[in-house]
Amino acid sequence: MASLSLQHINKQYPNGFQAVKDFNLEIEDKEFIIFVGPSGCGKSTTLRMIAGLEEISSGTLKIGDKVMNDVEPKDRDIAMVFQNYALYPHMTVYDNMAFGLKLRKVPKDQIDKQVREAARILDLEKLLDRKPKALSGGQRQRVAMGRAIVRDPKVFLMDEPLSNLDAKLRVQMRIEISKIHQRLGATIIYVTHDQTEAMTLGTRIVVMKDGVVQQVDTPQNLYQRPQNLFVAGFMGSPQMNFLDATIKESGANLVAKIGDSEQIIPAAKAKVLKDGGYVGKTVVMGIRPEDIHDSQMFIEATPSAPMTSVVKVYELLGAEVFLYFDVNGTQVTARVDPRTTSKTGDPIKFAFDMEKAHFFDKETELVITN
Amino acid sequence: MKIQQILQKCLEDWKKISGYDYCLLNEDDSIYISTCEKKLPQAAKLEEFRESSALCMSNTNVCLFKVMEGSLPAYVLLVWGNGEAVAMIGQLAVCQIQTLLTAYAEKSDKNTFMQNLLLDSYSEVDAFNRAKKLHIATSVRRAVFLVETKQNKDENALATIRNIFSARTKDFITAIDDSGIIIVRELQTTETYEDLQSIATMLVDMLNTEAMTSAWVSYSNIAEDIKHLSGAYKEARTALEVGKIFYAESNVFGYNKLGIGRLIYQLPVSICEMFIDEIFKEETLDSIDEETLITIRTFFENNLNLSETSRQLYVHRNTLVYRFEKLQKKFGLDIRTFEDALTFKLAMMVVDYIKYSKSH
Repeated sequence: MASLSLQHINKQYPNGFQAVKDFNLEIEDKEFIIFVGPSGCGKSTTLRMIAGLEEISSGTLKIGDKVMNDVEPKDRDIAMVFQNYALYPHMTVYDNMAFGLKLRKVPKDQIDKQVREAARILDLEKLLDRKPKALSGGQRQRVAMGRAIVRDPKVFLMDEPLSNLDAKLRVQMRIEISKIHQRLGATIIYVTHDQTEAMTLGTRIVVMKDGVVQQVDTPQNLYQRPQNLFVAGFMGSPQMNFLDATIKESGANLVAKIGDSEQIIPAAKAKVLKDGGYVGKTVVMGIRPEDIHDSQMFIEATPSAPMTSVVKVYELLGAEVFLYFDVNGTQVTARVDPRTTSKTGDPIKFAFDMEKAHFFDKETELVITN
Repeated sequence: MKIQQILQKCLEDWKKISGYDYCLLNEDDSIYISTCEKKLPQAAKLEEFRESSALCMSNTNVCLFKVMEGSLPAYVLLVWGNGEAVAMIGQLAVCQIQTLLTAYAEKSDKNTFMQNLLLDSYSEVDAFNRAKKLHIATSVRRAVFLVETKQNKDENALATIRNIFSARTKDFITAIDDSGIIIVRELQTTETYEDLQSIATMLVDMLNTEAMTSAWVSYSNIAEDIKHLSGAYKEARTALEVGKIFYAESNVFGYNKLGIGRLIYQLPVSICEMFIDEIFKEETLDSIDEETLITIRTFFENNLNLSETSRQLYVHRNTLVYRFEKLQKKFGLDIRTFEDALTFKLAMMVVDYIKYSKSH
């Protein structure tokens, strides 16, 4: 297996369209790196540049210690699993997995060894003689993975490999991929637009937008310490609530004034805001749905006065309830305990957990304090 | 697979089943295919057999059989062994070899027919009659896919594609010249352009992952009759060329999705140059600095939305306004208005086309 280094990578097409802008990333051996972002953000293009399927306009790509910019895909010691795959209908599972190696003229006994090893990893040993039409959707997907595993590459590149599967199978395959990563101990780069997939699979996540890396971090840090509004809004479902708040001094405290309500900002965050010169200015306050509480106990323990609104929508999801209501003209979502008494049309009293609030600069959209 | 490989595999299978060794000789007694390295009968013996009217002959340790191609003897099959069992097995093997030769010849005829059809070499009536003779349906829906890989004549790409479509006996896969691989696909009545797009995308992904090569795939409009196939092939070719000029960031191009690019592609270069001269006068598009060019493209991508463009480019709205005013002074086009934005967008595409035409 191998480490990767992407230094100042750019991709500009002949028509001037710049798909990737100054991409820098160091990937350690055995890491499971996720590229995530909305469609057109450049994540697939970056993956294809690593694969050698797209030329790198400028910058340096290294796999291990070797510069790979001008090396053909087949000589990069990589294997790919892409979204749209087909199994060869007349071939058995064994032959489907062996085909790529046969094209590369690998000796027969080595092919046999590698196919059987891949089949063992993927639990396909009993299916090796079956034809694709006799396989389930999940088994087919595993065969497609097997075609990559048999190559025994340094790096696996996966571009939305699960997006053609139904929701149930996706969850199942997500677990499978996680297990495969543990068994292989391989370096994997995985592209997805699904933030749940990103959060559950990755050791580190690269969030991209408009060809630019927004943040590279662990799933937990991305969720708890987003570096800008885009990352804060993209990671997490339902997404983070954003409210315009004016920072004011109120006695010894600093408060976030949202409409008529004043929320006391915890000391550590208040210091950063004060030092940054945000007093008297309007910032964007971000609060995750689970950090809005309607329980009496929490409201009583909160130093700020509770806020009020009227529940517009009540959604019961079994283990939790989503409440939708307006705060100063902006719709917010709260994730509360299913034992809540609030229902659609009811007045609601709630409080923010200000320890968990995030503040962003309104102009630059960069984080001020998390 | 070539016929020699097919026959080799066939005789290896016969050997596995029967335990006998086989050898197929050419007309000049050279070995065409063999499952062993055993000594051949003497040349005189072989000549005697060829000149006789007998279809099989038994020697002390080997049986000889004539293999006919049409009505003429083409090969001699040798089966080592003797007795009734060898005679029977030999005849069965001859029977299978002859069937394979006929099927291969027919397939080869079909391929030649399809290649000539795509190249518009037949009249309508001729194409119809030949298709009937070769049992090729004339009035079915088909689409032509054109696959181009980074390397010309990529054998791995061809093998990958042939295997993907191996279950579809009514599709034709061929290569006319160095330009790529052609797939003529028979469509179900329910298949739509969305399905064609999915097939093309799947082909790109498969060639990337299996043959490990960059690939571009274009597809034609749906042809309802065999007489429209040459037109469909031209459409697929056009789609590939136009797509690579105007939509370079994509790998799949449908003829029905080329939009304004197809219109520009069909214009003579002289008219395009005249248009550019009128728009840019003494200036050229190359005189615009890269930063402004990126600004313009982002502005177009965001449907002329200033706020969204400034947000994406991390520049102040006023900076954008300043850049666009500078552009207006230079070219007399205010791209914040739809009319001028359209003219500028067209001019950019036309410049791309002129550059392509000059380099090809």
